Amino acid sequence: MSELAQPLSLNVNGEAHHVLVEPRKLLCDVLREDCSLTGTHVGCEHGVCGACTVLLDGRPVRSCLIYAVQAQGVAITTIEGVAQQGTLSLLQQCLHEMHGLQCGFCTAGIVLTMQAWLDEHPNPSEAEIRGALSGNLCRCTGYHNIVRAVAAAARQRGKEAAE
Amino acid sequence: MTGSVGQALLRKEDYRFLTGQGRYLDDLAVAGALHAHFVRSPHAHARIRAIDVAAASGVPGVVRVVTGRELAEWTTALRMAPPIEGLHPVEMTTLPIDKVRFIGDPVVCIVARDRYLAEDAAELVAIEYEPLAPVTSMDGALAPGAALVDETLPSNLISHQTFTAGDPKRRFGEASIMVEAEFHQHRQTHAPIETRGCCVVWDEGRQHLTMHVGNQVPHPYRTQLARRLRLSESQVTVISPDIGGGFGQKIALYREELTCAALARVLRRPVRWREDRTENLLAACHAREDSARTRAAVDKDGRILALELQITEDFGGYCFYPANYVARVVALILTGPYRIADYSYDIKVVLTNKCGYGPMRAPMAMVSWIIEGTIEAIARKLRLDPIEVRRVNMLHASDLPYRMPTGETLEDITPRETFETALARFNIADFRARQQADRRRGIYRGVGICCVVESTTYGSAFYKAAGIPGSGHEAGWVKIEPSGAVNASVGLMASGQGYETTFAQVVADALGVAPQNVRLNIGNTDTAPYGMGSRGARGGTVGGSVLTLAARALREKVLAIAATLLGLNSSGELRLNLGRVERHLGGVWTETPLSLTDIAQVAYLDPLRLPAGMEPGLEAHKAYDPPPMTYSNATHVCEAVVDICTGAIHLQRYLVVEDCGTVFNPAIVTGQQHGAIAMGLSGALLEEVVYDADGQNRSGSFADYMLATAVEIPPIEVISQHTPNRKTPTGSKGMSEGGVMGAIGAVMSAVNDALAPFGVVADRQPLAPDYIRTLVRGKMPTP
Repeated sequence: MSELAQPLSLNVNGEAHHVLVEPRKLLCDVLREDCSLTGTHVGCEHGVCGACTVLLDGRPVRSCLIYAVQAQGVAITTIEGVAQQGTLSLLQQCLHEMHGLQCGFCTAGIVLTMQAWLDEHPNPSEAEIRGALSGNLCRCTGYHNIVRAVAAAARQRGKEAAE
Repeated sequence: MTGSVGQALLRKEDYRFLTGQGRYLDDLAVAGALHAHFVRSPHAHARIRAIDVAAASGVPGVVRVVTGRELAEWTTALRMAPPIEGLHPVEMTTLPIDKVRFIGDPVVCIVARDRYLAEDAAELVAIEYEPLAPVTSMDGALAPGAALVDETLPSNLISHQTFTAGDPKRRFGEASIMVEAEFHQHRQTHAPIETRGCCVVWDEGRQHLTMHVGNQVPHPYRTQLARRLRLSESQVTVISPDIGGGFGQKIALYREELTCAALARVLRRPVRWREDRTENLLAACHAREDSARTRAAVDKDGRILALELQITEDFGGYCFYPANYVARVVALILTGPYRIADYSYDIKVVLTNKCGYGPMRAPMAMVSWIIEGTIEAIARKLRLDPIEVRRVNMLHASDLPYRMPTGETLEDITPRETFETALARFNIADFRARQQADRRRGIYRGVGICCVVESTTYGSAFYKAAGIPGSGHEAGWVKIEPSGAVNASVGLMASGQGYETTFAQVVADALGVAPQNVRLNIGNTDTAPYGMGSRGARGGTVGGSVLTLAARALREKVLAIAATLLGLNSSGELRLNLGRVERHLGGVWTETPLSLTDIAQVAYLDPLRLPAGMEPGLEAHKAYDPPPMTYSNATHVCEAVVDICTGAIHLQRYLVVEDCGTVFNPAIVTGQQHGAIAMGLSGALLEEVVYDADGQNRSGSFADYMLATAVEIPPIEVISQHTPNRKTPTGSKGMSEGGVMGAIGAVMSAVNDALAPFGVVADRQPLAPDYIRTLVRGKMPTP
């Protein structure tokens, strides 16, 4: 371990992780290597593809663009924290049912980005969904089924809220 | 009987991917693994004069720094010398020793305790280069006196083939109308969201190497890796974890991977590598840079009397594949769904100081654009409706099987049927009315049509006839375990195609069990049978066929055992349905007391009750070599609006009518269509690998190399019109590349239709706004 490493406490998915890392280490790398949470995928390391998106206090952040030291004192949510006791979230379930994923590499970033977005946009149009999704690159699906899944999740949420 | 083939079963793979529990290459935890990083050439073309690694080697945490010279002692160079007329043999060392051939060429490998340290040390490596004149275009490569990219060759023309069928010269002499057209396709790259990488473990005690690498073709990869490491194939295991997208980029044994393997063995420690996005864009592999010209002799109705093709392809600096092979496929199938007897082609492939070529989803994608663009050029010249020119030339069902001028045989395709359905569903008449009305308002709307005949599954006979080394077979096994659980395997490796779901359906139906009881084991060369892997559009047809054959063979054995246990003379009136043995009695299928588990128990644990002479156990292993070629066909229709002031293109509607034979899982097949079409559209509109005149690559990030997002890709309507192939065991034809072919052609055609009032023709891609503006600047539309 480098002499520059410093102790760090991160709150990830409601659990405290105490790690010893260099201040220059990216949040994505610390999550993957030091917290053993490899569901966060690194696709471009320059903030364009969106695959590494995690939530900090509920807001989407690209974990390849910030250092782990910057993520102290906030609640970090990664894809491992989305399904509860093995039950898929509504958006995860819709992606499954609409075939909204193929290789699965970009999926974690899409789930976290769009789940947070749906919290603030409960009744989106298709064009709005496409706009919100445009920060996440997917090379397999052509996006159409992802858009359908997000729309279905929004409808379902609306229905549940009305009941 | 309850079958699952044809049903849109939800994917078995999804749960792990949706919950962050997929296991991709970089997710594998290997204790004590060192991290490799490569120092890459900043020059397009330069001699390596000296390399000083002393300072980098001294950095704490750095374990080893190596160059091409040391690697040449531990590994064997790649010699690419298939016996193909007009193709020059070439050889490539593991890392370059004397000179570099493109920006990003790996020159030095640093192995350190972690990736951050390895990258720190890279800055201390001093390499003295002597820059050479770079070759950065196809014209430049062929110019007299051009610098040689590979100095062992007489010129940069690495491959040149010509072919003539019939008597095109005579037809051109006879015809009164000649039509010429050009097609310039730009360089693109695969850009899977997961970049390349590997993790290599050498077991000194067992003298065994395990290569973890996301790879589409694990067995051919193992063969090459073992040979180049001078190990036997029993000393090497290749394990492919989940792959985060391949698209053809994850087939070759890359120099970085071979370097890591050699170092793991030398250092006796695990070595891993994962490239960053810039390395992936600059130095993985590129595709699609071609220039083509056609000349057609036609009659006054637009009937093609003869056709000539000239194509030149830029193969970059290194050959990981025989340089002739992609352009050759374009030339072989160019005539597509049209009746053309007199035909000739001339194919040139050149080396340049750019990243080496790698087949990208639909390597031959340009072919549909070329033939459809030629048809449209004919229609423009003769002032005919391009739809009518297609009808005049298109094959009828009664023409099939049809021998194309290159000798390839088309059969079991339905080009007219998909074409007419597409026109009806799109409603061309309604569109033309809207188009006219919009033009009066200064809105330029166009429709593009592209008829695709997709070469999908290549059999060994095709390779032989085309002079390309290789086999088209695939292997698979199915095993029923003592509990009745079913395991199956095939040599293919998935990168998002959902094989675990689809092939479970295929095996389940052929065997007579439920798909949830079938597990597919793929990607490990120790357990999977030696197959040719996933490439092209072969997976469904070869994988589905070989697993069907294996499962059927096993079903026969199961039923033979059942007959003996039931005291019957033959199994003729027995079947297996959802894991239960049923008997046909009085016209009705009736349950027997036997389940698959009972039979498996006897087969493994009580073999004396088996029919006389039968082997214990329940396993079947098969290989399958498909017909020389299977073809799918489709018609794509794209509607676009071109903003004349800005040059922006807005896609308004996209539909495709497809015939790809028997479909195992329609949701997955539709998803493959979406993805392929999106890749085609993204490439035609946005993506471009840009090299400047010095050979500098100016597209090294996703901010410069633009992939389409959800905003640019329109909703895609997929209309199925499948008819089975009569020669494959399942009726499958194969698919997944035709979408790229059709999209490239359809969007070009739509834009040209929109621009028609300006009297201009777009003949190059990408259809970037500045290019569109260049075409229409100063032009006034005619009503």
